[in-house]
Amino acid sequence: MAFLEISNIVKDFGGLVANNNVSFQIEQGEIVGLIGPNGAGKTTLFNCIVGYYKPDSGKVIFKEKDITGLKPFDTNKAGIGRTFQVMKVTAGMSVIENVMVGAFCRTDDRHVAQSEASGMLDFLGLGSVKTYHLNELPIAMQRKVGLARVLATKPELLMLDEVASGLNHTETDELVLLLRRLNAEKGVTLLLIEHIMEMVMSVSHRVIVLDYGEKIAEGLPGEIVKNEDVIKAYLGDKYAKNH
Amino acid sequence: MEKLKDALDFRDFSRAEQIGLIIFSIFLFIFPWLGSGSFVKAVMIQFLLFSLFGMGWNTIGGYGGQVELGKAQYVGIGAYTVALTMVWWKIPFWVSMPMGVLLAVGYSFMIGYPLFRLKGHYFAIATICTSLVLQDIFANWKLVGAAKGIELPIHDHPDFLYMQFKSDTYYYYFIMVLFYVALFYMNWFRRSKLGYQLRMIKDDEDAAESLGIDIRWCKIKAYTIASAFVAVGGGFMAVYNLYIDPASVMDLDLSIKIALMAMLGGAGSLWGPIIGAAFLVPLDRFLGSWLGGHKGLIGLDFMIYSMLIMVVSAYQPRGIWGIIEQFRRKGS
Repeated sequence: MAFLEISNIVKDFGGLVANNNVSFQIEQGEIVGLIGPNGAGKTTLFNCIVGYYKPDSGKVIFKEKDITGLKPFDTNKAGIGRTFQVMKVTAGMSVIENVMVGAFCRTDDRHVAQSEASGMLDFLGLGSVKTYHLNELPIAMQRKVGLARVLATKPELLMLDEVASGLNHTETDELVLLLRRLNAEKGVTLLLIEHIMEMVMSVSHRVIVLDYGEKIAEGLPGEIVKNEDVIKAYLGDKYAKNH
Repeated sequence: MEKLKDALDFRDFSRAEQIGLIIFSIFLFIFPWLGSGSFVKAVMIQFLLFSLFGMGWNTIGGYGGQVELGKAQYVGIGAYTVALTMVWWKIPFWVSMPMGVLLAVGYSFMIGYPLFRLKGHYFAIATICTSLVLQDIFANWKLVGAAKGIELPIHDHPDFLYMQFKSDTYYYYFIMVLFYVALFYMNWFRRSKLGYQLRMIKDDEDAAESLGIDIRWCKIKAYTIASAFVAVGGGFMAVYNLYIDPASVMDLDLSIKIALMAMLGGAGSLWGPIIGAAFLVPLDRFLGSWLGGHKGLIGLDFMIYSMLIMVVSAYQPRGIWGIIEQFRRKGS
C-alpha cells in the first residue's frame, strides 16, 4: 500500500473540469514534483487532497486511511501539512507566535509549544527574527515562516504550493538545500507544486505533470524533460519533434 | 496550578504597564474612601461592570476578530435568571448567578452553533437579530413581567446571600472582585492555546485551518466564554439595580456599547476594554447628566460620543491602545 494514494479524482466547477480522473501514488520518503502550465489544476488537486474542496468523485487514501472529504484541520491532524501559494501577511502576530500556533496542533502546553516553535525557527535559520512581525520581513523569510508554522504541526507529508515563487537565485538554492535537509533529517515526504523548472527538476525524485486537469506524464525528472506530451503542453505543438 | 500562575503573571508586559496596573489597582482599592459622592461611585461601578462586559466580548470580538453585536441577550439571561429565581423561589444570588451563567452558556452554544456558519458582516447582523428576537420575546412574555419588567423584593436588612446592601460601597467591592477575576482570566486566556488559535483565525482563516484548527469549534468556545462573562455582569445588574426590564438589560444599545467600548479601547489587547470603558462610561454619564439636562443641548452627548469614535477609528483601527503602542514603537 502506498503512503499517499490518489485515485480517479474528479473536480468539476460547473462545466470547468479542473481535475479529471487524476491518479497517482507517493511512497514514504519521496520528493515528488507536481508541474503543469497555469490552470492545469495543480492547486485544485492540492485542495482536494487536503480538504478545502470535496472531490466530486475519487478517493484520497493516506496511510491506508480514507481521508476523502475530511476537513483541512482533520487532514492536518492525520499528518498532512500544506503551504499556500499566496500567504496573507498580517501584523497581528509575531513570527514565533505564528509558529506556536502550529505547535499547538500537537500540544496543549504553552511552554512546550514555545520551545518547539523556537527550535523550529532555529532549524530554518530564523532564530534572529522571532519577535518580528510578518509584514516587517522580506518575502523569502515570510515564506520560511509559513513553512515553519506548518512544520510545527509535525506533518509526515508536506505539500508545498509554489514556495519558491518570488525568490531570487540564491534564495531558491537555499530553499532547495532546506527541502533536502527536511526530507533527509526529518523524514518528511514532500509533494511540491512548482513553476521554476530548474528547482523542481533538481529537487524531485519523481515528477508528475498535469495539463487541462489530466495527468499527462509521470516519471523521473530526466524522462519528463524529454517527454513529447510535456513539451507540447508547455511550448505548443510546433516545438514537439513529431510536427 | 500552572494556569493560576499564568493568570497572575504580568511579567511579559513593559515596566510602564506594570506600574500603571499597580497604581490603578491601588486607586480602585482606596476609591470608596476618597469621599466621592454617590453619583461618582455609581459611575465607577458602571465602569467596572462595562470593563467586565468588554473583557468578555474581547475573547470572541477582539482576539477572535468576529464582530459580535448581540451580547445583550446574555446579559439579559444572567439578569433574568437571578431576578426570576429570587422572586419565584427565593433562591440566593450565589446559586442563581451560576445558574444564569450555565443557562447563558447553553443558550450561546445553541445560538453559536448555527451562527458560526456565517462570516463577517452576515455574522454581525445575525447576532443582532438573535438578540432582538429574545428581547421581543421577553417584552411580550407575561410570565416574566413582559415590558414592565421585574422588581426584586427588597430586604429590610442587608443580606449577603441575596446581595442586598444599603451602601453602594459593598456593591463596588463586589464588582471590583469580579473585575479582577475577569482580568486574571483574560491574562491567562491571551496566552492559552485557544487565545493563540483565535488570533490566527482573525489573521487568516484558511491558514488557521491548515494548521489543524477547527475554526468553527474555536469560535463557538470563545463565544460561550464571552457569554458566561456578560451573564455574570447581568446577574450583578439585577441585584444592584433591583429592577430589570428588557429595555435595560437586553437592548441593542447595550450590545453596541459593549462592543464599542472594547473596540475604542483596543480590541484584542488585555487593557483595551478597560481603557475603552474608562473613556466612554464617564463620558456617557457626565455628558448625559450635565449637558442632557439643559434645554437645547439634548443629544450633544451623543454627538461628542460618536465624534470620538469616528476620530479614533479613522486614525487607528486598533483603538486607543493601538495609538499608544504605535507611539511606543516609534519611540523605541
